[in-house]
Amino acid sequence: MRKPTNIIYGVDEAPPRTVVALSALQHVGLMTVFLIYPVLIGREAGADSGVIGNLVSLSLIVLAVGTVLQALPRGPVGSGFLCQPVPTAIYLIPSLLAARIGGLPLVFGMTMFAGLLEMAFSRALRPLRPLFPPEIAGLVVALLGVATGVVAIRITLGIGADRVADSTDLIVAAVSLATMVAFNVWTRGALRLACVLIGMSAGYAVAVGLGRLGAAEWQTLAGLPWFALPRPEFGSWKFDASLVAPFAVGAVAALLKTAGNVTTSQRLNDADWVRADMGSISRGVLADGIATTLAGAVGTSGMNSASGNVGLANATGVMSRRVAYGIAALLLLFAVFPKLGAIFFIMPGAVAGASLFFAGTFIFVNGLEIMTSRLLDARKTFVIGFAFMGGLAVELLPQAFEGAPGWIKPLLVSSLVLGPISALLLNAVFRLGIRSVQKLTVDPARLDPVEIEQFMETHGAFWGARRDVIERAKFNLAQSIETIVESCEPKGPLEVEATFDEFNLNLRVSYAGPPLELPEKRPTNEEIMDSEDGQLKLAGFMLRQHADRVRATHHAGRSTILFHFDH
Amino acid sequence: MDLSDDKVGGVTVVEVRGRIDSTTAPVLGERLTASLGGPKVRVLLDLSRIEYISSAGFRILLLAAKRADETESRLVLCGVSGRVRHLFDLGGFLDLFPIAGSRDEGISVAG
Repeated sequence: MRKPTNIIYGVDEAPPRTVVALSALQHVGLMTVFLIYPVLIGREAGADSGVIGNLVSLSLIVLAVGTVLQALPRGPVGSGFLCQPVPTAIYLIPSLLAARIGGLPLVFGMTMFAGLLEMAFSRALRPLRPLFPPEIAGLVVALLGVATGVVAIRITLGIGADRVADSTDLIVAAVSLATMVAFNVWTRGALRLACVLIGMSAGYAVAVGLGRLGAAEWQTLAGLPWFALPRPEFGSWKFDASLVAPFAVGAVAALLKTAGNVTTSQRLNDADWVRADMGSISRGVLADGIATTLAGAVGTSGMNSASGNVGLANATGVMSRRVAYGIAALLLLFAVFPKLGAIFFIMPGAVAGASLFFAGTFIFVNGLEIMTSRLLDARKTFVIGFAFMGGLAVELLPQAFEGAPGWIKPLLVSSLVLGPISALLLNAVFRLGIRSVQKLTVDPARLDPVEIEQFMETHGAFWGARRDVIERAKFNLAQSIETIVESCEPKGPLEVEATFDEFNLNLRVSYAGPPLELPEKRPTNEEIMDSEDGQLKLAGFMLRQHADRVRATHHAGRSTILFHFDH
Repeated sequence: MDLSDDKVGGVTVVEVRGRIDSTTAPVLGERLTASLGGPKVRVLLDLSRIEYISSAGFRILLLAAKRADETESRLVLCGVSGRVRHLFDLGGFLDLFPIAGSRDEGISVAG
């Protein structure tokens, strides 16, 4: 794993304590935005403010445990990355339904069910790897960015909230966002690391100055106790079979979102990243499922890994897992000292929206980069394009799907459900008819270098192969054929065979004629200039250098060169 | 392969487009030999628009550099980036030629 240049502290590095504290504080600030979900669910169940306060405190404890579990570098649980959970909108609609039907005990019971389901699904991820290629991982990540951005805009504008935003809110949001961007782009060191915290503070300051944070918020703050131990609701669980479908769909969406977030974390920490590590994803999904199971067990609503926080880590360049331990410590502190944490809970929607919008942009661009790291032919273009636009439609035009049949509605609740599921289905359909072995016959008398390069280009795109590997293969194919035709006087056509799987690309060139020399040592400049033989040795040397492995054989008058490229 | 010549100040700029392989390399060789014919001439070879260069192309570049030394001329390359730069690196050619970052820089280095 090679650390990218824009990352200041990689996942395994230990930043100074002040950096850990600052980073943890701004992560917690962003996480607390989502504590609105247990509050909404509590209100739906008719709970009083004491019960709702307890729901929030329990959520903070589960978040602390989930954050540490996710960051564990060894063992069967945890992706090893700073990829913490937050209370999630994925379970909001099913939980509101459960709260209406059976009160909070049913919410807790069904949340446990969803968590256990996600844990079970995590064990089946590895065999499904061929169905989850990097371009689909990139799609999920890009949709996470879009969904985060849409949530940010909704929160900023107050869509669906008690109060619609006005021009004052927009000023607060604009100042907050502009400050974050300015400190991220034009400063270095501690100022860049704390750009979100500084932007939030600027937003708070403007909100206070313009009267957006007023007596009501300070009263809320004053009414909270300094110290209070949360009371777990062990044993108050109910189960209702009619809610299995919506919670199961939620578990699948939570799995896909966590897979996307862990994929992003992997890529952000490794400049040489080429494909998702399913082991780390599987352990990450398990940790995510455990967090939700624990949430249901102690008595709060479902959790899921936070794309906004992965984006925040990317923006600030601090990916160290030590920040996870700092976050957990702060969350526990806020869980038992409610007055301290309340400074975040009274955050104006405009500040919260600006922070999420800022983080969402990083996630979105990462998704695009992952998608375009592979060659995309027409099939893959349809898979990505259809799924992305379908996901976008759900996010932006939810009213268009109101008349859909009931059985399909669970798929239409979020871009993070419809997008990935349609991509997986389309990918499975388009995989039909793709052969992993392709052949080309080359007539030495009518050598067409463009046709030879197109052979690699076309099939590389069919396979969704890495662009850089196909470029190397293209060179080796063109250079080897050119050299064989020039120097080996092949009798009859040259046979080319390209074989691909996700880990290997093998190119076999065979012909009737003497073998090609593939020296391990570069010929001297004089040798290259003095004779054509020197040039041939140079060709052989470059072919050997360009492939990860080469093998030349000669049998019964026929020579074969095998170029192997790791993929 | 297409070749085009331009004269900027005292520098002859030769731009190559397309593929430099065993078929086209001799044509490039002739053009460079002609451009480097006189004593103390300045030639900038712009490779920014080539798609492919094989060992035959590298041989021609080595011969042109030798010719430049013999005539006390100067041969500078520019536009060596991306996968072409990778091939230069792989074949051990990056340190054998003066390579400029851009055409303007190349003209200044060659001049």
